[in-house]
Amino acid sequence: MALLEIRNIYKNFGGIKAINDFSLVANKGEIHGIIGPNGAGKTTIFNTVTGIYNADKGEIFLDGKDITNLPQYQITRLGIARTFQNIRLFSGLTVEENILCAFDFMCKYNLIGGLFPTKLRFKEEKRARELCRNYLEIFGMLEYINEKPENLSYGNQRKVEIARALMCEPKILLLDEPAAGLTPTEVSELTDLLKYVSKKFGFAVLLIEHRLDLVMSICEKIHVLNFGETIAVGTAEEVQNDPKVIEAYLGVEE
Amino acid sequence: MALFINVLTQVCITLVAVCGIYVLTGLTGMFSLGSAAFMAIGAYASGLITIKLGLPIIVSFILAILMAVVVGFVIGLPVVKLRRDYISLVTLGFGESIAQLLIQMNYLTGGANGLLGIPRKVKWPIALASAIVSITLVAMFKRSKYGRQCIAVKSDELAAEAMGIDSSRIKMIAFLLSCALTAFAGCLYSFYMGYVDPGIFGWKKSADWVIMVFFGGVNSLTGSIFGATILSALPQFMRSLRDYRYVVYAVMVVLIINFKPNGLLGEWELTPTHIKETFKKIKNKFNRNSKES
Repeated sequence: MALLEIRNIYKNFGGIKAINDFSLVANKGEIHGIIGPNGAGKTTIFNTVTGIYNADKGEIFLDGKDITNLPQYQITRLGIARTFQNIRLFSGLTVEENILCAFDFMCKYNLIGGLFPTKLRFKEEKRARELCRNYLEIFGMLEYINEKPENLSYGNQRKVEIARALMCEPKILLLDEPAAGLTPTEVSELTDLLKYVSKKFGFAVLLIEHRLDLVMSICEKIHVLNFGETIAVGTAEEVQNDPKVIEAYLGVEE
Repeated sequence: MALFINVLTQVCITLVAVCGIYVLTGLTGMFSLGSAAFMAIGAYASGLITIKLGLPIIVSFILAILMAVVVGFVIGLPVVKLRRDYISLVTLGFGESIAQLLIQMNYLTGGANGLLGIPRKVKWPIALASAIVSITLVAMFKRSKYGRQCIAVKSDELAAEAMGIDSSRIKMIAFLLSCALTAFAGCLYSFYMGYVDPGIFGWKKSADWVIMVFFGGVNSLTGSIFGATILSALPQFMRSLRDYRYVVYAVMVVLIINFKPNGLLGEWELTPTHIKETFKKIKNKFNRNSKES
């Protein structure tokens, strides 16, 4: 059984067909890339999978369980974590607290522990903080643990956001343009990190990205979209030589 | 001395209520203009239960707080689904209707004359202890996963949901905690004053509290407590200026919003880490100054 199965989803905004019959099957450990020109509906797919939008038609299964149109937080709890195109860290919290937030639904103390210093609270908080340090260490960000996210550089904010998504202990990680605004060295660093964590924790990754070098180097399967339609699916070589893809990106020769 | 003790007691009662406002506005970012209504529910319910049913004070406090929480839950159901500005409108309408209800329900509440004959059992030690307990509870709450989630929801609701946070539930918890604390303040108030009248529970009271929280620092519990202490004690000591209170408030709000949008203390809290940081900053400044000279 596939880990994530998206079956023929459709999403319209008024007269605009943002997603038109999109399907995808992802298994454990795979990295899928979704590429396409601006406005092709890439982020809309993410928003539909994570429950921000309801699909007009079609079904989404996670581990065989129908998650179509469930509330956003429940989808996350079932195992789909994501990052955002424009970084969305919580500004009132430190880096550590930002990451802890993503674990709080698995933190097992209740409101009594929220108001009184109970044993369970200390135990659970300690467990969460240890996990958080763990992830920060993988990303080499341990020194910024008590920093406010808005004081960090753009690249480091990206890393915190990915660490926060990992803290949800996802089965599938959705990354929305993780390399946007990064320098070439930062991009190659990020590529290695992504390969490493996806192997280490064994989840599937869906990746939206404009930088084709990144997509081509780490994705096993690439979906090319244009105006909501899937125009090509396949490995890097396959889609690179697809005439439809060349047409969408470069236009047709007259 | 009597004046001082009177002021101290009233400040402590206000502090209990402001703790509730801090949870709601400071942590979760919901603006309520009807919080005073929950204080009214606490004050009237506890007073009536003791007078009419003759139950001990502790029991009437607990029942009154429970009642406020139940009412808060019913009001909270629509409130937690709304956007910030609409929350103020809904709570404003609710608060004013509670104040009207208290006037109209003559047979039970004594109408506009107020409810008389409540035993004056709350003295300053109880008020002070209540304030300390409330502040401690809220401080614990802020440091817990609930406090974190509240701040996350305030900062970015969509991202919070994407991290598995049920934002409606978190907002409801914050709202109910706030209701319970303001109702508790109401209980203390009625048993301190010995009578309550519906006039003081209007939206102005709620607005006062919100101003106190903003004055001291909307992101800091220490700041909110600080703001509440100053702004509720000052008018008591300067009786002659009392009528001009709102003029002073208005000027202060304008100045603070413009020059210190995060309040006097910003995000500073009275915790070891923050104190250490402050010391370091002062030290650095001192060193730099001595080097230059």
